[in-house]
Amino acid sequence: MARSSTLRTIAWFWLAASIAVLVVGFREAIFLAPTEATMGNLQRIFYYHLAHAILSLVFPYVNLAASLAYLYWRHRDPLRALSADALAVASAEVTVLYAGICLATGMLWGKPAWGIWWAWDARLTTELILFLLYVSYLMLRRFSPTGQVGVLSAVLAVFAGIDVPIVFMSIRWWRTQHPAPVFGGDGSIDHAMLPAVFWNLAGWAMFGIFLIGFRFALERRRQLAEQDAALLALEASLETPQ
Amino acid sequence: MTWQTFFDFSTMAHRHLVFVYAGVIAIHLGYLGWIARNWTRTTRPHK
Repeated sequence: MARSSTLRTIAWFWLAASIAVLVVGFREAIFLAPTEATMGNLQRIFYYHLAHAILSLVFPYVNLAASLAYLYWRHRDPLRALSADALAVASAEVTVLYAGICLATGMLWGKPAWGIWWAWDARLTTELILFLLYVSYLMLRRFSPTGQVGVLSAVLAVFAGIDVPIVFMSIRWWRTQHPAPVFGGDGSIDHAMLPAVFWNLAGWAMFGIFLIGFRFALERRRQLAEQDAALLALEASLETPQ
Repeated sequence: MTWQTFFDFSTMAHRHLVFVYAGVIAIHLGYLGWIARNWTRTTRPHK
């Protein structure tokens, strides 16, 4: 009970710190970062878009690591495997959230900047595939009638993880409508914009970690409640006179 | 930029800027609320 109380306190502090960093990030992005020369204030979408885009390529690795841990532990240590499975589903949901926001903010930026909502270029298409892979992961978990949901979804997670480096490298491997990398290379970002980039990246990363932690705790609570219900049913069946 | 110019809806660019900032926050709060709702509805396991 003491451990649970400590974790809850840490979670509240983490949430408060995340919100504080996000508020600083908002102020940096809207009021302090210089106005971009060609796009004007529209470019300020970049600070939210970039943070969600980067994190939508980081959280899948949490899902991949948890899925591999599940596959490793499922026979050796089933209780630990259940924890890994809970972390996998939590990180998959947050990946869908971040990738979906990345796509939506990109479209809202693309329409006034490019004149089109969408282009089937390599970066946008591979990011859409990543989003759809994790949506299919969640749908598989939700609708699979078999008792092998954990194994099937863990295997799918391994394949989904392969798309992540392809999304990352797409703007280096192919000519795309999407801009070139803004860190390093020819298209380097103005240094005056860096505080807004890093505050937003830090804030959304902290908030994403909080969401994964909270969703993980919910999934563990569900799993333990299911175990309780199964044990109660077993006890009741044993008490029934034959 | 000031608060007034942030909420300037006269151009598509500004409308999209506000939609992104408000929309992202709303979506995150919605997901957080969904987790919190399920948290309160899921029975606390016996120790």
